[in-house]
Amino acid sequence: MTPSPFAQVVTVASYEIRKYIRGRRLLGILILVGLIVGLFLGLPPALGVPYASTPNGFVSTFATFSGLLAVLSGVLFAADALVSEHEKRTGYFLFPNPVRRELLVLGKIAASLIVSAAVLSLYYGAAAVGALIVTHSLTWDVGLSYVYALAYMTAVVGIAYLLSALLKSTVAATVLTFFLFTLIFAIISGILSLAKVDPWFVASSASGIITNVLGSATVRPGPGGGGEGFVPDPATSLLVFAAYAIVGGLLATLWFRRKELSS
Amino acid sequence: MQSSRTESVAREIPVHLEGLGKEYGHFTALKSLDLTVPQGTSLGFLGPNGAGKSTTIKIMTNLIRPSRGRAVLFGIEVRREPTRALARIGAVIETPEFYGYLSPLETLAYVGRLRGMPSNEIERRSEAVLKEVKLTEWADHRIQEFSKGMKQRLAIAQALLHEPELLILDEPTSGLDPRGMAEVRNVIKLLTGEGRTIFMSSHLLGEVQEVCDDVALLNHGELLVHGSVRDLSRGADTSTFQTTFLRSPTPQDLEALASVPGVVEVKDSGDSSVDLRISGGEEGQARVLEAMVSRGLKVITFRPLGSSLEQLYLDRIQESDRL
Repeated sequence: MTPSPFAQVVTVASYEIRKYIRGRRLLGILILVGLIVGLFLGLPPALGVPYASTPNGFVSTFATFSGLLAVLSGVLFAADALVSEHEKRTGYFLFPNPVRRELLVLGKIAASLIVSAAVLSLYYGAAAVGALIVTHSLTWDVGLSYVYALAYMTAVVGIAYLLSALLKSTVAATVLTFFLFTLIFAIISGILSLAKVDPWFVASSASGIITNVLGSATVRPGPGGGGEGFVPDPATSLLVFAAYAIVGGLLATLWFRRKELSS
Repeated sequence: MQSSRTESVAREIPVHLEGLGKEYGHFTALKSLDLTVPQGTSLGFLGPNGAGKSTTIKIMTNLIRPSRGRAVLFGIEVRREPTRALARIGAVIETPEFYGYLSPLETLAYVGRLRGMPSNEIERRSEAVLKEVKLTEWADHRIQEFSKGMKQRLAIAQALLHEPELLILDEPTSGLDPRGMAEVRNVIKLLTGEGRTIFMSSHLLGEVQEVCDDVALLNHGELLVHGSVRDLSRGADTSTFQTTFLRSPTPQDLEALASVPGVVEVKDSGDSSVDLRISGGEEGQARVLEAMVSRGLKVITFRPLGSSLEQLYLDRIQESDRL
């Protein structure tokens, strides 16, 4: 008897998480998190610069990196999840089982979100502990920044899955996801700004709320050099993240369902 | 009443393919395949590379969609209800890859959980199938260390885990060394003996003859012939015999042999040997032997070159290639 769809999603997610735990990616990103936390905590005293005296100021230093961390998590834990079943031929073993493709996608997305959220939580946890030790206080803004970072991460994961479903190579899906969020969106935002159009719908522009909520100005590089980027209000930004995540996830599911394993 | 009876009969038929066709752009991989495999039969799905065998199997296992027609497993159309249709089958498609970070035991547990098997059953069956494919010693090793042959054996193990009523095997010995091929064939023969239905594609006629009861011959996406191996072997028109003489036969001898009723073709293969293509089964062979002896030709050996089924296979493939 075939188990319930929920049980199948949980099974797929648990094996995907096992993949990330046993692979080197999680270890790699944890080492990176450790390095960044070490730099943010170790460099100021080494250079004789005092730490920020407020929790918001202290955590905002960490928050400048959290957008990139969200993108890296999406790239490492989502971009190849679907395409690899075709490219590495594991689909030949997995797909003839009585499990609907959309449940496979759901299970994989759940695993990507859980692992990426764990990485971001660890990072913000370290920042919050640091702020507590240095400033002896914390604010709700820190929690909000964390929530915004998680929301941005879901947007990245949604788009990463879409590219993973559409493309035929893991390298292409991984590279395109990374450059889309770190470069292509920035270029689009820059061009739109030059044309006097606010890029409120561009996810990387909306990600500015992660640091803005802590009171720091967001500086984003554009095609013509640096400049202060447009950041939509938090409600709009959250809606933009939700739209990317939902539309990306849905289209990925539909495409993956239709995609034939014929190579 | 009649309709429900028809449905219940259909539920007993493991494989029913109806007007199945598949196109990739302008290329037709499968034309219009009609084929039914009754319960307990082991069918060899035979044809040269590119005949449409894998396409058929991929449609049956919901890896690709048919352009027309339908594949029905146990009365359930694969395209409409893939989950239900695939629940009673086990499949090995080409040489699948597995997740390198898992061990065979973990891989089997994954498949078992996806199929809703209880934990104790997964444990019991995993042990049994790994023993069957001789991977017990490797049960806890990561698959990334495995050779192609070991992966192929694991593929068979995962297909057998839930004791499926229908086993679909796509070139199961592909890429294996001779020993591995023999081992896999022995496993399949054991399963045939257990009364399971087996649908096995292969381009190796000998393999099909060794393992299967029935054979379906496919070329250019078309079914050329379908029947039991025994009947087709009997019904095959001609067989080729390599005949070696004590002394080389003269051109006159060869002419005389060619005129013997039942001799279709005489081909001098050198070294006092002649390939004789003979029709008429055992009677025909006896007539030719008599004729050779009566002409004073001293025959040292007279042995079939391949089976009559092989001849049928080659004839039909050549015929279909010419069209």
